[in-house]
Amino acid sequence: MNILIPDDWLRDYLKTPATSKQIAECLSLSGPSVEKFENNVYFIEVTTNRVDCASVFGIAHEAAAILPTFGYKATLKKIPLLSYKLKSRVKYLTVKIDQDLCFRFSAVLIKNVRISDSPLWLRQRLLNVGVRPINNIVDISNYIMHEIGQPVHTFDFRKIGKSKMLLRPSDKGEKITTLDGKTHILAGGDIVIEDGYGKLIDLAGIMGGENSAVDVNTKDVLLFVQTYNPISIRKTSMSLAKRSEASELFEKGLDPELVPFGISLGIGLLSKITGGKADSDILDIYAKPYQKKTVLVGLEFIEKHIGIKLNRNEISTILTALGFTTKWKVDNLEVSVPSFRSGDIKGPVDIVEEIARLYGYYKIPSELMTGLLPEPLINSPFAFETKIKNILKGYGGIEIYTLSLVDKNSVLKSGALKLKNPLGTDSEYLRTSLSPSLVKAGNDNSGEENPFHLFELANTYIPNGRHLPQEVMTLAGIMVNTTFVKARGIIEALLAELHSSIGLIPEEGADFLPGKRLVLKYSKKEIGEFGELENGYFFYKIRVEDLRKTSIETGRFFPLPIYPPQIEDLTLNFPEKTKIGEVIEAIKAVDKLLGEVRIIGTYKNNYTFRFWYQHSNKTLTNSEVQSVRNNILKMLNDKFGAFQ
Amino acid sequence: MWIDEILMREDILSLKNQAISQINLAKTSEELEEIRISYLGRSGKLTELFKNISALKSDDKKLNGLLLNQAKATLTSTIASRKNSLKESARDWFDPTVPGTKPGIGHLHLVTQAIDEIARTFTQIGFVRVRYPEVEWDWFAFEGLNMPKDHPARDEWETFFVDALPSPDFGQMVLTPHTSSGQIREMQRVKLPPVRMINIAKCYRRQIDASHVPMFHQFEGLVVDRNISVVNLKGTLDYFARNFFGKERKTRLRPFHFQFTEPSFEVDVSCGICDGRGCKLCKEGWLELGGAGMVHPLVLKNGGINPDKYTGFAFGWGVERTFMMKAGLSIPDIRLLYSSDLRFLKQF
Repeated sequence: MNILIPDDWLRDYLKTPATSKQIAECLSLSGPSVEKFENNVYFIEVTTNRVDCASVFGIAHEAAAILPTFGYKATLKKIPLLSYKLKSRVKYLTVKIDQDLCFRFSAVLIKNVRISDSPLWLRQRLLNVGVRPINNIVDISNYIMHEIGQPVHTFDFRKIGKSKMLLRPSDKGEKITTLDGKTHILAGGDIVIEDGYGKLIDLAGIMGGENSAVDVNTKDVLLFVQTYNPISIRKTSMSLAKRSEASELFEKGLDPELVPFGISLGIGLLSKITGGKADSDILDIYAKPYQKKTVLVGLEFIEKHIGIKLNRNEISTILTALGFTTKWKVDNLEVSVPSFRSGDIKGPVDIVEEIARLYGYYKIPSELMTGLLPEPLINSPFAFETKIKNILKGYGGIEIYTLSLVDKNSVLKSGALKLKNPLGTDSEYLRTSLSPSLVKAGNDNSGEENPFHLFELANTYIPNGRHLPQEVMTLAGIMVNTTFVKARGIIEALLAELHSSIGLIPEEGADFLPGKRLVLKYSKKEIGEFGELENGYFFYKIRVEDLRKTSIETGRFFPLPIYPPQIEDLTLNFPEKTKIGEVIEAIKAVDKLLGEVRIIGTYKNNYTFRFWYQHSNKTLTNSEVQSVRNNILKMLNDKFGAFQ
Repeated sequence: MWIDEILMREDILSLKNQAISQINLAKTSEELEEIRISYLGRSGKLTELFKNISALKSDDKKLNGLLLNQAKATLTSTIASRKNSLKESARDWFDPTVPGTKPGIGHLHLVTQAIDEIARTFTQIGFVRVRYPEVEWDWFAFEGLNMPKDHPARDEWETFFVDALPSPDFGQMVLTPHTSSGQIREMQRVKLPPVRMINIAKCYRRQIDASHVPMFHQFEGLVVDRNISVVNLKGTLDYFARNFFGKERKTRLRPFHFQFTEPSFEVDVSCGICDGRGCKLCKEGWLELGGAGMVHPLVLKNGGINPDKYTGFAFGWGVERTFMMKAGLSIPDIRLLYSSDLRFLKQF
């Protein structure tokens, strides 16, 4: 959470010659981070574990410990504590509380307050921490909360029916209107306070009830300082989506030992500013007072984690400055944890952190680790994926990253994973295919007249019963403003560069134009597809892991032919609708003396082929070539009706 | 048939001189081309002499061959220099300033470029690149990382939940909000340290504005071994900063808090623009990189590693942010990275 600390207010508690710039720098390096210092106000980020720092006093306490490590003198001024009688029963209020919800409950009646505007200095300080002044009573509560980090509430005492309070968990469906005028329907289990008439007067720890709020006619107030169960507060604040400065503090677990300081400051300010008079009996129900907790940690443990040698005095000085007490038994340290740190100091590593940060992270040396190296990852996929991307880039492909979350119409009807809390209906499902995203990417560039090729490598998410979904790494691409032959050539070239032996088999399929789809197959298993979509884009997708299995990293070696081939060109005429891909396959199957065949020209139904006749250990004679040629021509005539 | 070798030598010299004088008189490149053909063409005068060489005795062959080659070279260069000395109008017109015909230029996405470079930097010091599920159980993403349900620390991770039956052992199904969910998976895979992991993956958070996208990338380093300390974390971060950002760059640690590391740090890198002196682009000479820390003993335990024997550190940062800091790119709206606008994609 981010807090604002005015420099003059901080110096009420911190006596130091250090300048504000020096304070900001030292805090950032060894404590809470000061994001900026502007108009004499520190903007400080307090982490969730350090709610004890979320106040003027908390920051003063940290600064008083940190500044001396940088050579600046600093002393902390204590919060004044008035001596009042704390009693578990008082005459003016009857209470019954659920102690699992409220760890410390304290209140005091203050009579004859005069409601008015706060004095200028108080209003100014509130404005400096971003709080709007309202009236002296409310302002004093807010002032105390910012000063010591303990929320304080005030009820109009006369609005508490029968002077009775029952603090209990709410029932499901109960309603309460908070003092900002909003009505909430409660989920059940929220901490609420009911008065003697059974009406709810407080949504505890979040915001007071409208019906018990202080107003211009208020004469007597009940000053109210509590420690609530952080988990309950957080649940309520999350379920009602209602955050207040108070709830943000309570949900992080406050120190019950802070309560008397809140009461004390409250009585002092209310009497000074509003003229009110506090009852001499203060109600304080505190069933389980803080028991000092100790953490044991060895010197060797500390040194091993930080990586440096330390001496015992250095360690004790640091911890003492932070409010811990220490006792060494040889090289073992017994650390006694103050109440305000009991929430975040749980074990030896937490002590290590305190020592290391005040020693100064900047003073710790920097060295790479030595030791054994781990084994490589078996069957690592990354090099292959990088290779694919680079090959496609080489062919002019442009890589894109699109959002894996899509709308309902973009996923398989057979099933896709849906989000419980999507940002919108357009990103409600985890995609099962990359094609809708790529088509959209194509459409996004509809103004482009030149050919372009977009591709993406990303997971698709296939539901898998009660298990996590299968994440299938998929390569997909879209080619626009091009021809079937050119687009197909890209796929063929990719497969060739990967030394993959995948076949392209014509097969009809949804979304593709009739007769314009090819399935990528490897030993009868379908691992991808390519074709022309109804909108004229050429789309392909391939499952990357399957592709990897059909590929070899380096090409195979075949001995180079020693004897020259005989090369000849033949032009043949084929009937309409002959599939030339099949013709070429058939030609290749005729005789192994035919080393290679390629199409070098076409005109209407005439195709000119170039044939390479080759024998591995001799030069072929004319008659040998003639015999192969005749077989080819005969086959082409028999099977395809082709003639020369 | 024997040819007089003396006569041949003279033939060569006189042919050469004759050709040179013709070349020097030529006025156009056409004329020069005619001359070239008449001497050096397939049945040119000099070419004819080459054919006679085979009939010579071997000593003479060598000498005459040398002379012929010299003559040929002289004529070729004389023709070329004469061509250049002709007036521009008499030369063949050619404009070398016409732009070339480029092949289609492909582009790898910025994120891919960033990931490749980050992976390369860490694998150089023995890190093993891995990746783990993008759709993950709550336990790996939070609970096992010492972040119980209802913990305020979870606020930082605006998590997407999948509408699926929860696992009895691991809780709800979520889209992983950070690469830290790979920490326990990696410890479980390796079982016995050393662990040196670099996990680079897609992450998802429920947020969208000019500086946030619901899908982004992180890289997570995890090192677990005997005697791993803050010193080694600093060493690794400095190594990364020097390699990735430049050899003058340094890192520093500031206190922070994560539930799964203790101590936890915020890592800054010195600003490359002002060399750490402080400028408009940085904060007092430093730029924020991201979080790091010493692995919490509970997390080691949850990963099946004995925290009494082993210690470790971890860090996890945004790929996009880190790379933009390196490249000095200031892309005002991060959403542009995940758009398909060719005008954007072709810039990288």
